[in-house]
Amino acid sequence: MALYKVKSLFQLGNQIQPLLITQCDKFHTTSDLSAWSRNSGPKRWLKYNDVIYPPQSPDEEPRPAFVCHQRTNIKYSPWKMWYIASLVRGMSVDEAIKQLKFVLKKGSKDVMEVIEEARELAIKEHNVQYGTNLWVAESFVGKGQVIKGMRRHGRMRHGLVRYFHCHYFVRLEEGTPPKDYYMHAPKEPSQQLQEWLEEMRKRKIINSL
Amino acid sequence: MSLRLLNKVGIQFLQETSVNFLAPIASTSINVQQVRHRRTKHWDPKWKPLRTLKVVKVELPKFNENTEDLTEEEMRSRLKEQGLLPPRPWLEKPFFISSTGGVFEGYVPPEGDGKVSPISAQGAKQKLQFLEKKSKTMLAIRKIRSFEEDFDTPEFCKAAQNVYIKMHECMASGDKETIQQYITERAYPEVMHNMKNKTIRWKYLKDVELPRVVHARCTDVVSKENIFAQVTVRFHTQQVLAIYDRFGRLMHGSEIIAKDVLEYVVFEKHLANEYGLWRVHDKIIPDWMPPKEPTSLTFEKPQLNIIESKEKELVDKEKKPAEIAA
Repeated sequence: MALYKVKSLFQLGNQIQPLLITQCDKFHTTSDLSAWSRNSGPKRWLKYNDVIYPPQSPDEEPRPAFVCHQRTNIKYSPWKMWYIASLVRGMSVDEAIKQLKFVLKKGSKDVMEVIEEARELAIKEHNVQYGTNLWVAESFVGKGQVIKGMRRHGRMRHGLVRYFHCHYFVRLEEGTPPKDYYMHAPKEPSQQLQEWLEEMRKRKIINSL
Repeated sequence: MSLRLLNKVGIQFLQETSVNFLAPIASTSINVQQVRHRRTKHWDPKWKPLRTLKVVKVELPKFNENTEDLTEEEMRSRLKEQGLLPPRPWLEKPFFISSTGGVFEGYVPPEGDGKVSPISAQGAKQKLQFLEKKSKTMLAIRKIRSFEEDFDTPEFCKAAQNVYIKMHECMASGDKETIQQYITERAYPEVMHNMKNKTIRWKYLKDVELPRVVHARCTDVVSKENIFAQVTVRFHTQQVLAIYDRFGRLMHGSEIIAKDVLEYVVFEKHLANEYGLWRVHDKIIPDWMPPKEPTSLTFEKPQLNIIESKEKELVDKEKKPAEIAA
């Protein structure tokens, strides 16, 4: 908009005042000022799609394919979106879409769409053969632009209204989902017993034979 | 001491009362509806419009809107709202034609080329046909000579092979800048698409047959003097090719198997341009050759029913004498 105004000034200047032209020349309209411009959103997440890994020898285990995908500035609270993002973590894609259909939240629609888009991308560009053979390896939320509004209070005062936007990021990986997505999954009783036994056998009894 | 006692008694009392309080509710299942009482709103709805006025309406930008989907009328009203002039269409379009958009009068390779020997009937027939078609090619070569005086077909074949090898080496190393010297503008997007997200290992081993010019054509674009020449060269070579996908998994070929490759490569040069280069323009894939399917990553596990049944028979045979014995 500012640039536009400057342009119109230029046109005026051409017709009437040569002094104004010299003034216009001193306006900065280039990227010098863009240091203060708005952040243009997340940039790094999609860069992972450009990484090319070195070829593997036939005896190595094949690297699972993955795709990163995102949707920026969804008009939804990032704090509310978090619940939906955490829900689908570690699910297979089909299961995630099925579950999201029953989530009665506004953000679930966007999450579902992003996952479906990512799946299509995987088949189209990243050499994934079956769309069903994918799972949600990463799913998280970022804070987007916050637009500030105003609200009248009593006694000549005012309050700030924040209109939040959020980013949603997803990474689909080829293969079947792991049994325990989170590391701190509870251990089986037999496993616990085994560990305890080992611990007991390892201990050192001081001053003993 | 007394304080501690008091505390103990107090806790006990609390515990007891809480149990007593909860007990009737838990035991008798009364259908209690939750009612939310909001104390910040006035009970009289006449203040409702004034309450809405308290919030200053902000028009939020539509971040995820696809502007291409908007109709012209919508776009006009948007621009009008913001007080912007519609963008002026830029009528001048400077463009420089440095390559043609396709192959003109493309060469049709004979069926079974590279497999049929010239001694057989079919091979001899091919040779005859090849001679017949040569007159137009000779004319085109004469035209090329009028621009490029020292144009010599065997010399050209050597240069063409060099360009061919350089182009593939650039593809393998992913060099987007230097490859422009070896491929035309028509081939560029195609090559870039084939390179995308891949690791290519390519090696040229040797010639099976010497490369030879099979076809040549000239055409003019826009004006009479603006001439482009296309020469088709037959390459019968031995190469090694392995293509890996983005994750380093083998997609096609192998790094240890050498294969004979028969290719018809069209080279193009802008003759009218003093600094024109012979560059790879296209590869001719004949209609009679079926398109190859990409290699699949996963395979269906074959069912081994037949062997199982045989095993069963064997087991049965072993069992039967045992039963008889019993």
